[in-house]
Amino acid sequence: MFDFLVSSLTFGAIFALMALGLNLQAGLAGLLNFGHIAFAGIGAYGTGIAVQAGWHPALGAAAGVAVAMTLGWCIARLGKQLAADYWGIATLAIAEIIRTVATNELWLTNGAQGISGIPALFDDLPGKSGALAFLALVVALAAAAAVLLRRVAYGRFGRALRVMREEPKLAACMGYDLMSLKSRAVMAGAGVTAVAGSLYAHYMSFVGPDYLLASETFLLWTMLMIGGIGNFSGVVLGVVLVQTAYTLVPFAKDAFGFGSDIAGALRLGLIGCILLGCLLWRSEGLLPEKMRKMP
Amino acid sequence: MTAPHALQVDSVAKAFGGNRVLEKVGFNVRPGEIVGLLGPNGSGKSTLLNTITGFEAIDAGSVTFEGRRIDTLSAHRIVQAGIARTFQLPSMPAKMSVAEVAMAASVAHHGIWENLFGLRAAREAEARAREQANALLYQLLLAPVRDQPAAAISGGQKKLLGIVCALMAHPRMLMLDEPTAGVHPNLRSDIVGALQRLNQAGMTIVIVEHDMHFIREVCHRCIVLDRGHIVADCRPDELASNERVLEAYLGGAARKPAAGATAGPVLRMGAA
Repeated sequence: MFDFLVSSLTFGAIFALMALGLNLQAGLAGLLNFGHIAFAGIGAYGTGIAVQAGWHPALGAAAGVAVAMTLGWCIARLGKQLAADYWGIATLAIAEIIRTVATNELWLTNGAQGISGIPALFDDLPGKSGALAFLALVVALAAAAAVLLRRVAYGRFGRALRVMREEPKLAACMGYDLMSLKSRAVMAGAGVTAVAGSLYAHYMSFVGPDYLLASETFLLWTMLMIGGIGNFSGVVLGVVLVQTAYTLVPFAKDAFGFGSDIAGALRLGLIGCILLGCLLWRSEGLLPEKMRKMP
Repeated sequence: MTAPHALQVDSVAKAFGGNRVLEKVGFNVRPGEIVGLLGPNGSGKSTLLNTITGFEAIDAGSVTFEGRRIDTLSAHRIVQAGIARTFQLPSMPAKMSVAEVAMAASVAHHGIWENLFGLRAAREAEARAREQANALLYQLLLAPVRDQPAAAISGGQKKLLGIVCALMAHPRMLMLDEPTAGVHPNLRSDIVGALQRLNQAGMTIVIVEHDMHFIREVCHRCIVLDRGHIVADCRPDELASNERVLEAYLGGAARKPAAGATAGPVLRMGAA
């Protein structure tokens, strides 16, 4: 039970990092990134490939972050003329391309088999303290990301992003280079998410193409929409709620005697119902973005 | 060397498909001048404003500001070069307060790192921006609504907020698109006062406007556009006697004496 709780919290904190990265783009800058999971995948593969090549995993993580941020720069500059929704479709396509590449390029990613044997962090600590130390690390990182990104949101950069999100012409009139704002928002989100991806690879000791499934991106979007897109506390709440729903399903399975396949469906169904309920009754999420009072 | 003209528009042409909106439009604006840009609907005024401010690319000709070609620059670079503008129908963010929108218009130090680590330079810039925003909001009578959502204030107040945003960028030239249309008369005279004060402090201003009272009160010179051509460049009090202006607004009917009875606002105001 204790292990189960620690593992749920660890997953939650890793997902929180990814969701916070998405919120910077989608919530603040209004960028409909439907390929966000690609950044996490690149972070995870960076670690995996480095381990496979016999390098230090930290080097892999750094490379993963760098590649993810470069990809973010490219995605942001992709299709200058594309309207927001078409840009969203393009991001989805790019993530799918990366997943297809990861599935097929055996020499680099070991194809569908994925790369296993990625060392867990803090493995040399005795007993359960290794898992606890990792949990502490991911929670600390998620908390730091939440605090810092919130600070960005209410600082000048965040103000510029929010004007761009709602009135791009006005932002241009103010003298903002919209392309630069967009690039920096996507790159910052990509960096945070790649770190989360790398940690995920360490935690699972494995990375495979399934990490890049589009459904993972939509799970992150669900967290944002339930909690409150644009509000960092809301995003954290969304992550906690979705993660709790995920965690409760195994108990329901035991209590009601469901089979494993039904439990999987129940998990998705539960999330779907929560999302639907939020869209119908709290369309801006449980903690909507608040207007900030200026001193 | 100081350029004799603040703004120099030379043979500017712009077409949307087969529709030639501007044809060889050329005029100058001297530093410290207030110029009114007039013309009937569809005469190309807004397009001209959009081409000068970089929101539309021109097909031919050139635009020079303070001796520097600006027609190849994008909109944000033109703001940085010293020309700020407002929109005819400004829409404002719903999730930001009036004060926050004004603050957002202060462009300096908007990097991630500066506000992430609260660097001293960024904090000082923030304090200066806040002071400037508060002063401008007060001057343009928006202080009472500074904590309201920017999308929830009246249309006239949004126009004022548009002017505040433009001024936050420290421009040397201001281009206003119908600043008084739909604005309450009391507020209108406040806008007149604000523009005159700015002008006395050296601001060059170009105003697209239909209201002749306003034009006569504020502008030093008027440029009249009709179907993509400049048909007049004269003092405001000369407008009513300018035959090409009358023709532009009233069509061929202006030539007939009986047309006086159906004259539009231009004629009546001009004669007043």
